[in-house]
Amino acid sequence: MSFALPGLLWQLLFFVFPMMFLIALSFWLVKNYRMVPGFESVNWVKMYTRGYFWDAYFYTLMLAAISTVVTSILAFPCAYALAFKASPTVRRWAMFLLIIPFFTSYLVRAYSWQIFLGNEGIFNGLFSVFGFGPYKMLHTMFGTMVGYLTLCLPLVVVLQLLSLANVDKNLVEAAWNLGCGRVRTIFQVIVPLAKVGLVVAATFCFILSFGDFVSPYYLGGSKPPTLSILIIDTTKSGQQWPRAAVVAITMIVTLMIVAFSAVTYAYARRTRQ
Amino acid sequence: MSDRSRASDSAISTWFLRLYVLVVFAFVFAPIIASFVFSFNSDRFPTIPLGSFTTKWYETIFADTDVWDAFARSLTVAAITAVISTTIGFCTAYTDFRYRFRGKGFYLGLALLPPTVPLVIMGLAMLALLSRINMSGQVYSIVISHVVLCSPFAMAICRLRLSQMDPSLEAAAWNLGASQWQAMKTVIIPFCKPAIIAALCLTAAVSFDEFAVAWFVSGLNKTIPVMILEILQGNVDPQINAIGSFVFAISISLVVVAQILVMTRDDKGRKS
Amino acid sequence: MTHKTKSNRREFLKKTGALSALVAAPYIATGRKAHAAPVELNMLAWYGHAEPDIVEEFEAKNNVKFKPKYYAGGDNMLALISQSPPGTYDVILSDGEFVQQLNAAGYIEEMDAADYNFDDYFPEFQKFPGHWDGDKLFSVMIRFGYLGVSFNTDLVSHKEAMNYDVLWDKKLTGKVGHFDWHLPNLGCLSLRDGNNKPSPFDIGDDQWKKLQESTMSLKPQVAGYFDYGGTFSSLKNGDVQAMCGIGDWITGVLLKDGAKVDSVVPEQGGLQWTESLSIGKGTKHRELVKSFIQYMTSPAGQVRSAQMAAYPGMLPMKSGWKALNEAAPAEAKRQRMVLSGPNCLDDIREGRIHYRDIPKQQSLEDWNDFWSEYKNA
Repeated sequence: MSFALPGLLWQLLFFVFPMMFLIALSFWLVKNYRMVPGFESVNWVKMYTRGYFWDAYFYTLMLAAISTVVTSILAFPCAYALAFKASPTVRRWAMFLLIIPFFTSYLVRAYSWQIFLGNEGIFNGLFSVFGFGPYKMLHTMFGTMVGYLTLCLPLVVVLQLLSLANVDKNLVEAAWNLGCGRVRTIFQVIVPLAKVGLVVAATFCFILSFGDFVSPYYLGGSKPPTLSILIIDTTKSGQQWPRAAVVAITMIVTLMIVAFSAVTYAYARRTRQ
Repeated sequence: MSDRSRASDSAISTWFLRLYVLVVFAFVFAPIIASFVFSFNSDRFPTIPLGSFTTKWYETIFADTDVWDAFARSLTVAAITAVISTTIGFCTAYTDFRYRFRGKGFYLGLALLPPTVPLVIMGLAMLALLSRINMSGQVYSIVISHVVLCSPFAMAICRLRLSQMDPSLEAAAWNLGASQWQAMKTVIIPFCKPAIIAALCLTAAVSFDEFAVAWFVSGLNKTIPVMILEILQGNVDPQINAIGSFVFAISISLVVVAQILVMTRDDKGRKS
Repeated sequence: MTHKTKSNRREFLKKTGALSALVAAPYIATGRKAHAAPVELNMLAWYGHAEPDIVEEFEAKNNVKFKPKYYAGGDNMLALISQSPPGTYDVILSDGEFVQQLNAAGYIEEMDAADYNFDDYFPEFQKFPGHWDGDKLFSVMIRFGYLGVSFNTDLVSHKEAMNYDVLWDKKLTGKVGHFDWHLPNLGCLSLRDGNNKPSPFDIGDDQWKKLQESTMSLKPQVAGYFDYGGTFSSLKNGDVQAMCGIGDWITGVLLKDGAKVDSVVPEQGGLQWTESLSIGKGTKHRELVKSFIQYMTSPAGQVRSAQMAAYPGMLPMKSGWKALNEAAPAEAKRQRMVLSGPNCLDDIREGRIHYRDIPKQQSLEDWNDFWSEYKNA
């Protein structure tokens, strides 16, 4: 049981307090631009009765869900190819290449996409050669999605790859030998075997997209704002961190529910087969 | 075995998959390459067509000792964070894998919750804690916060690997008279090695790229992402691209060197 | 087996050790300075105020090294200070309207007015609101600028831009950008509604309701809401052709980079931003900070300040104007800080300029709430 200790101690020391602070903060008041400790429900009432809060909430949920589905689907063929078609050397290099982007700031990468997506950007330049466009891509939901993909795709491919690489090749082989088609093998053998990893990857993708403010801000033009942008906006109204805390707690609870359902689903015992 | 499977695969789909992988990597690296190109562009704001070639942005950052300091600091923080959070993550994953106990739900919640906290507010909350215990504004303040953020990633990766292990394997080792530590050392850790390496890389990467919490808790000890955030929010010039490309160049060389080290080690291991 | 892994591990450690030494080399090299270690001054500021183009001369003369912490927004700044130990920041640059809050919270030290040459300030800036508490001085103004309409000169003429109504023009549909902060935007739009007496921020409930309606009617025109980076790049790359609530501090920078943009103060009036320096409470380098502020209010400092690379600003001191006209006449002319003839102060003297402020009759949260609604609409 001593293995439980390091994590427990660290999180108790350095995470539980900030969380408690956050919860307490949501009941504080702001007077003359200073946060005053207190116990008032006004922040909760105020945020929860605002239409824009719920608009932002459902919009963010939707964006994160789309991002999760799109990223998972786009990542899978890549992870599949690397897991089943590539040599171990190629796979290892691919893995490192996928982790490399993290070492070039996400901010820089998001900023870079502006050059591609702008009205007079690289993509529209290319389109105009063929007589198309210009298409509005920057400051749209499409822009936000490109940003989310930039953030999540490498991570999701890595996590999917980790789980696909451990799928027992003998089982796949057996399915083939029994005359199972390639597509059927993927969906009926490989995906169920790698379910845990695929779900974990999707969950991280959802969490990252849900909380990210860089993409909806720099590539989506904050139109409409997501919850993380709402947090930043709220703090700009004269130290309204308590109200930002309300938004934050709502986000945490939502993500907790999503994450726990996902993990429960992922690790649920397979009853069939 | 794999030959046969490859042979039964139609050539077209193999080519399609190869092409697809290339497209994914092109997508991942496109912004990095563009950033590199624009780091040599004389215009302050990136637009097409390009201005003239210049190295002045690199001269600016190389002359700025703060950039070097920030880079060294980022590396230090990332390395320490990776080791601590992977250790913690592995231990937590093992606990979850091996034991059932009262309050396990709470324990796991604690272990997995941090990534769900919006970073901006997490930054303020961490600062509130660290400043009260007189530990704010230091390099280790960043490490502390990043370990909180990163260990769930490490935990997830290690847990993923453990769930692929046959639990009876460890029991077998125990039955053969191995102590828990011996079983851990000879069975579990070797089995988890790929996951541990992946967790080390990923946590280092997440820490190396984190700016929102670091902005709050680091005080005046800037890391590279914090520096980039400040330029992006208040100045915007190709220094951003230059710093990004420079950091990218160094990290990719480090990776290549590490790769070669690992490979030669593996070769040696195989030979002996 | 264990023996083998051990020796391999040692080998590996040796290699990684060599590697990290390689990486750390430049760091160590820069750590060892040839001269006596300079005094480090911690500055909390908007981006640019501790960059070499501003501070290099002062640093060299006084053997000082500035360690900047750059923030984006006064609220961020206040949150950071409130959670940091006293004395963390030696010198604080803030927007004029935040000085009062810094003072009320006890984050800045009282200053001695005799240390600074207040006679040199133009009369309208000598007793700047919020900087004084009775006769006690707490902050010294160093720069200011106007906020009005900024536009792409290819699409919008100067004459059109002189009226905020241009933002509703059909040719700007989907091309109007907002700098994502409610105060300057709503302030300018309030001026358009004709709320200029006493101030666009001091409006009754009817006017506030009308302001909300007219702002909402602008929504179909809006391309997006941007921070600094986004504002710069979207104006430069043509995604945005007109904005209100910003000014030369954005377009002046873009102009230098060859963009066809300009800013005006429309007929209905404009706002003023102000930047001021204060001494952080609990600093150990009081004297040094004092001489830095003296430097920034000297002609040499003012000339640098007006042309700050991050974003330009106008000077509040007569000697600064004189020095700028000698050092950089073109820039002085561009920013209308000319010694004879009409100049930028005329806008103030004609009563067309209002300080950026906080709402007087509504709460700040009301304005912010509305801004969030507007963004979501």
